[in-house]
Amino acid sequence: MGFEHFWLSGFHQIHVAFWTYFAVGLQNGAVYAMIAVGYTLVYGVLGLINFAHGEVFMCGGFAGVFLTRGVLGERVGSGWGSIGLILAGILIGGLVSALVAMGVERVAYRPLRRRHAPKLAFLISAIGASYFLQTLAGKEFGYGVNIFPGQVFEPGQVAFTMFGTPIHTLTIVSIIAAIVMLVVADRIVRATRLGRGIRAVSQDAETSSLMGVNIDRTITITFILGGALAGAAGFLYSLQSGIVQNAGTEIGIYAFTAAVLGGIGNLRGAALGGLLIGLFGSFSVPFAFEGNVQWTEIYTFLILVFVLIIRPTGILGEKSGRTA
Amino acid sequence: MKLRLNRAVVVTSVGALLAAGIPLATLSTTSAAATKKPTYTIGVQGPFSGSDANYGDYIIGGVELAINTANASGKYKFTLKAEKFDDQGSPTLSPAAAQRATGTKNLVAVVGPAFSGASEAAAPYYKKAHIAEVSASATAVALASGSASNFMRTIADDSVQGKADADYLVKVKDVKNLLVISDASFYGDGLATVVAADAKALGATVTTQQIPNVNTGGGGTTTEYAPAATAIATAAPGAIFYGGYSPDFGLLLSALSGAGYTASAHVIMSGDGSNSPALITSTSPASAANGVFLSEGAAGKVNFFSGKLATAYFKLTKIKASVALYAAQAYDATNAIIAALVKTKAPKTVSTQLREQVVANLHKVNFKGITGTIAFAGDGDLKNDTGTSAISEVENGTITFLVNQG
Repeated sequence: MGFEHFWLSGFHQIHVAFWTYFAVGLQNGAVYAMIAVGYTLVYGVLGLINFAHGEVFMCGGFAGVFLTRGVLGERVGSGWGSIGLILAGILIGGLVSALVAMGVERVAYRPLRRRHAPKLAFLISAIGASYFLQTLAGKEFGYGVNIFPGQVFEPGQVAFTMFGTPIHTLTIVSIIAAIVMLVVADRIVRATRLGRGIRAVSQDAETSSLMGVNIDRTITITFILGGALAGAAGFLYSLQSGIVQNAGTEIGIYAFTAAVLGGIGNLRGAALGGLLIGLFGSFSVPFAFEGNVQWTEIYTFLILVFVLIIRPTGILGEKSGRTA
Repeated sequence: MKLRLNRAVVVTSVGALLAAGIPLATLSTTSAAATKKPTYTIGVQGPFSGSDANYGDYIIGGVELAINTANASGKYKFTLKAEKFDDQGSPTLSPAAAQRATGTKNLVAVVGPAFSGASEAAAPYYKKAHIAEVSASATAVALASGSASNFMRTIADDSVQGKADADYLVKVKDVKNLLVISDASFYGDGLATVVAADAKALGATVTTQQIPNVNTGGGGTTTEYAPAATAIATAAPGAIFYGGYSPDFGLLLSALSGAGYTASAHVIMSGDGSNSPALITSTSPASAANGVFLSEGAAGKVNFFSGKLATAYFKLTKIKASVALYAAQAYDATNAIIAALVKTKAPKTVSTQLREQVVANLHKVNFKGITGTIAFAGDGDLKNDTGTSAISEVENGTITFLVNQG
């Protein structure tokens, strides 16, 4: 295939199926965004990357999968039943992941924090927690076995047609759920007493504790908030791809990248970064050389590097270490 | 007299143990204790856990069936037992499994590795230890090479399967415009390359694409399937051939059906790596797998066990012989190893010398196995590839045999 022809066929593809790529990109991006928020919040309060966050996401996925399978069995959901199941899946996924995130904080971080361990120690214990959760899931549910949820709605169900392109119900559900949850998280961080605590700790932990902020409690709540979002994302993701014990690693890397792209420590930045990474990934598929899809990862990370060269703090990041 | 008594004891205990459903590994130790013959281990390397564990179970069933028959016959100067070496089918885990096998004291030879990528990764370890590996299922063309090779296989390689697949697509299904997708694994890439080249030679327009797999260590990402499926549905090729394994093929089929490209409207085919009931459970909705064609690298049909053998296999494994891919090839591979052992002096302990003898003797075996004549060429391939491949189709969630394609 000639080089010129290659680019032309890429643009032709996009011309033909622009809205489909757009929808798929937004759907993936919504999931990345919800996970990215967890990375960014924890970075804000602790100044470190929670490497076990991908596994927190995975746990929520499994919870949602087993819930829907348990309720539906071989049946296909419809109408109000579908809506109820989606809400329940998000809730249960979020709850399980929040508990797991809380557990990770208690076991892997708090003891180190108490002893004023160096940052590297946190990193290692996070990796340990990540392996533990991944292996546990592998032992329980099988290694590399994709487990699909019950069919919450007709597979491939089309919600409506936009510019002649069918938009799937799943896409709409993912995007709406992400928007609602991200707005709620943003309001919590910006406009509540709790959020003020989170912001205070991320600016200056020591001073905020002198001002009466309970640091332990604030950090726990931060993990719970990030975990809940990741768990909900895990459920939404499982509706498309099923869930597998190592899903947290691959998706986690994308979400972490999204958090950095948007400006680590910045909640809105993480959301924006997630959506952008989803869209980059989708729109770069037609430009994959010889159809090798792994080129999309190369394109995505090239763009990331360029953005970081121009704006080292990320798109919305002002200065590192601020959650706002 | 004493011997006969022992035989009777052994045969009865075999029956009793089988009825009790006790794993057969324990069985051979019983008879060994009774006769004081040396006990040799035949290693079985393949996936015994993970998403492809069913292949490992099919294969070890064939190995144990052959071993039990040999042990119960009482005519050999040794007792055999099988031991699993789990590599999950992964090239990354394979070297460790091979090292465990080569370090096993009384191990004389290995049936396996089951998967091609894992075989490639394990090859240096077995070669260095002079241990014969007779694979029942590793079909990548590049695995067999050289002369007096310690790698052998009781199955035709992918040049046979790939050619049959291309023939079926172009000649039988009349495909003009074919997209060949590789999962970027050693096996998937090899098979895809053969199919692409052969289909092109038959006059079809062939486009190739690589979607690195997620589940067999390919480094791909599950979220890549949806946009890739969009691109495929837009390009709308007349047919797709996928070189890869069932868990990832399932993800691709799910994404394709979401994008509106289905096996009911187009021709979708894959090789023996996807030819497993696991494909149906890996696909959501499972109905998206209906109409998909699957081939097997074997000459002949999906399964060669019939009559008493099929019954014995089911009794042993609780797996229906008709779905147990490669079980018959594993049975033949084990019998080839036994035939090679018979020609040795059957010493009490296993030495490198004995292992080398087994390799040399394997190159001399020539017998009528249940899958065909078992005799190996210098590079380890079967001398007599009959050149046909079994084509099946998924019908209502069940893989159903259609035709032998030559």
